[in-house]
Amino acid sequence: MKKIIELKHITKSFDEEVVLDDISLDIHDNEFITLLGPSGCGKTTTLRIIGGFEHPDCGDVIFMGDRINDEPPHKRNVNTVFQKYALFPHLNVFENVAFPLREKKVPKNEIKQKVEEMLSLVMLNNFANRRVTSLSGGQQQRVAIARALINKPKVLLLDEPLGALDLKLRKDMQVELKKIQKSTGITFVFVTHDQEEALSMSDTIVVMSEGKIQQIGTPTDIYNEPVNAFVADFIGESNILDGVMLEDYAVKFAGHIFECLDKGFNKNEPVDVVIRPEDVSIIPVHEAKLCGKVTSVTFLGVHYEIIVDICGFKWMIQTTEFVAEGEEIGIDLHPDDIHIMKKSKYSGMFGDYSTYSEEAYELANPGGEVEE
Amino acid sequence: MMKLFKGRNHASNTALAPYSIWAFLFIIVPMVFIAYFAFTDNNFQFTTENISRFFTTVSNIRNEDGSITEIHTYLVILRRSLKLAIISTVVCLFIGYPLAYRIARANKKSQKMMMTLIMIPMWMNFLIRTYAWMTILQDAGILNNIFTKLGMSSVRIIGTEGAVILGMVYDYLPYMVLPIYSIMVKMDHSLIEAAHDLGCSSLSVLKRIIFPLSLPGVLSGITMVLIPSISTFYISQKLGNGKIFLIGDAIEGQYVANNLHFAAAMAFVLMVILLVVMALVKYFTNRYVYGGEE
Amino acid sequence: MKKIISNLLTGLVYVFLFAPIVVLLVFSFNESKSLSVFSEPSLYWYKELLKDRNTLEALRNTLVLASSATVISTIIGTAAAWGIVRVKSKVYKATINTVTDIPLTNPDIITGISLMLMFVFVGSFFGARNSLNFWTMLIAHVTFCLPYVILQVLPKLRQMDKALPEAAMDLGCTPLRAFLKVELPEMLPGIITGAIMAFTLSLDDFVISYFTSGTGFQTLPIRIYSMTKKTVTPKMYALATIIFFITLALLLISNMIDAKSDEEEEHIKKKKLFGGKTHEKN
Repeated sequence: MKKIIELKHITKSFDEEVVLDDISLDIHDNEFITLLGPSGCGKTTTLRIIGGFEHPDCGDVIFMGDRINDEPPHKRNVNTVFQKYALFPHLNVFENVAFPLREKKVPKNEIKQKVEEMLSLVMLNNFANRRVTSLSGGQQQRVAIARALINKPKVLLLDEPLGALDLKLRKDMQVELKKIQKSTGITFVFVTHDQEEALSMSDTIVVMSEGKIQQIGTPTDIYNEPVNAFVADFIGESNILDGVMLEDYAVKFAGHIFECLDKGFNKNEPVDVVIRPEDVSIIPVHEAKLCGKVTSVTFLGVHYEIIVDICGFKWMIQTTEFVAEGEEIGIDLHPDDIHIMKKSKYSGMFGDYSTYSEEAYELANPGGEVEE
Repeated sequence: MMKLFKGRNHASNTALAPYSIWAFLFIIVPMVFIAYFAFTDNNFQFTTENISRFFTTVSNIRNEDGSITEIHTYLVILRRSLKLAIISTVVCLFIGYPLAYRIARANKKSQKMMMTLIMIPMWMNFLIRTYAWMTILQDAGILNNIFTKLGMSSVRIIGTEGAVILGMVYDYLPYMVLPIYSIMVKMDHSLIEAAHDLGCSSLSVLKRIIFPLSLPGVLSGITMVLIPSISTFYISQKLGNGKIFLIGDAIEGQYVANNLHFAAAMAFVLMVILLVVMALVKYFTNRYVYGGEE
Repeated sequence: MKKIISNLLTGLVYVFLFAPIVVLLVFSFNESKSLSVFSEPSLYWYKELLKDRNTLEALRNTLVLASSATVISTIIGTAAAWGIVRVKSKVYKATINTVTDIPLTNPDIITGISLMLMFVFVGSFFGARNSLNFWTMLIAHVTFCLPYVILQVLPKLRQMDKALPEAAMDLGCTPLRAFLKVELPEMLPGIITGAIMAFTLSLDDFVISYFTSGTGFQTLPIRIYSMTKKTVTPKMYALATIIFFITLALLLISNMIDAKSDEEEEHIKKKKLFGGKTHEKN
């Protein structure tokens, strides 16, 4: 695939605070790429650098082979769908969409034809004369997309565009965005903090944290083979335990040795062990290596989410069978349920389900640093 | 922190430059000139004479029984100004608060109507409004004409402190109503419902929720009434008939007599007093209104 | 019962507020010279007013001064508001905000005296005998109008989505075009109400004008002041009535502009409340 945008060693700081730390990223033609991460991870800044609203302190932005660091936004063949849409409130739907064409002094009849084409792409044919302030969130979203696409940019940047919509509408728009991307063949760079959204829409996901790229890969790669505790925790739910790689295909954690599918680690190398809650099977206590007491049971419709205390570590397990709170259960792990990761700076920060959020953990353990 | 790109930061400084220069030359520098004139004599030599003149000038007044009392002329004037301004402010508060409350609880249409009616008098030239009050209240004025027609004896109002207070309340009442109203109208209604839910009666909702929440409006209303009341000179000239001499009259008198340095000294003292008052108001606002640590 | 009393008291306050206005309007049509005994309705004093050269001159002066002060303060103030929203330095921003508050919180008499002292000092420095004139008044008026313009434009800029100018640039506008096509229309209601406020404040100002005006240039409020020093005839009431209705008209216009932009905001708010819930069928 052809590279459209290359970011090379981009660094950016605001007021001494480093927001992007040596980011390098290739964006390919016709790709749906998602920048995923918690707020403050630098994903929006990356997007704004591509759009031309921020300038990197060092590093290069390459657009189809040309360095465009100093190109102002209006000269870039890249358009943006802004977080709150940024529709011009003094113009109606038609004029908002026609805005870029009027700026380029396109002839009137051509404008009319193109705008109508765009509006039908986003299914707003009958809304041309409406005031943008009279539209619902979803409709405003569509206008913003039509407006950004009318210039036929090479790349469309979307900054958390679905954040303000309710759940059902979000799902519809996810499907539709994907459809529009496929039909237009334009590269979409999508920013979100919602991992489900990222998994369901993207060709490629870029997981970011603290101004650094943690992992780049397809949704399945990222989910099945997270590179570190941060990614494992951020994408889906994970139990992350301290372990030691005894030899190839054998790992020791929680006081027992387990067979696994990973190799290539040093002998006795400390590692992080990831076990997804849906991969854990519940078995009778006497058959199990690991057993513990159920401390909480939450019914979530499709399955139960239970928290089990095993030797002081709180595991999350998703199961379709009912278990009662307080019950002693055993758990079983298959070799392909165990994923081994190298130790990173995120080791020990995630993966215990005593609390879901860091804030709740701190409140429950006053005085101390977050530690395991 | 979203920042626009560099060119615009440069542009923002350019856009702000004319105002910055203007504000420096015509807001800050003139303030300095008040201090400069206050502490210099006619030859612009340093002196504290003007300030001490304000605090030490004495004059004799003849009491009703013929005895003579010595008073500190300007301190008496200052005290009178403060007294009348404070009374007017309190009266404004007692009229303005219930009025603002009443308006804020009316329906949207009447709210707009009532507020416009409060504002309209402000758009009549204040000299003329005050003068009109004089023609209403004076000895052979409209009010006394009505009284005599009704067979009552006429009353002397002009030239009393009461008349000056009436003028101040009249002129500055809208300044009290406006900020209180605007804060009450924005008040989150669910807070009031929450208080009822937690067992408050209507009266205690007013006392424990509405009043504390409206305090910022009350305080800004108080400053907006207090400041012009302290410094007025036209109201006292007309409704006080020249007998109720206030600090504003003193400053104006010295200006007319071309004693600019003494006028500046009095303006300086007034400014310092107001700064102290404002600082106190700000302190209490922070302390009691926005309760709790940050 | 409670309601009746509260309505009665509210009514009384309004009577108090409008008593002198009514007196003034009524007596401006008085046939005789008296301001307290109404004899017969007539337009005599309005005709007299039109013959009064000094007053008409003062009216002309006032309009010239107010228009000039409005134009200057609106331009400088709008630019300032645009800059304040964007300026980076927090210290600069805080200083500007504090300084902008000074003319708003200072009593007029202090603002007037302070400017007068500076003009007199600078004037005497250059050997001028009479340093107060049209220009000193203009400076004074622009100075006290500026904060009001800024305070009217600022909220419009703050409400505006910061991404709007960016969106315009993203869609092909140069920064200047983005300002003209997107930001200016957004600021316009604030600019207009600010300008109207500046105009009416300048028109109505007495105290600051009193200290900064020279002998050669008299505005209407100053003319009124000198008229009230002597015996006043209903001619002054006629004048006040005319000014009153002019300012009232301006006020209504600015209210209408405000109401319109308020309506739009209401609309947006409602959309935000309910818009999220409306399920879209494709």
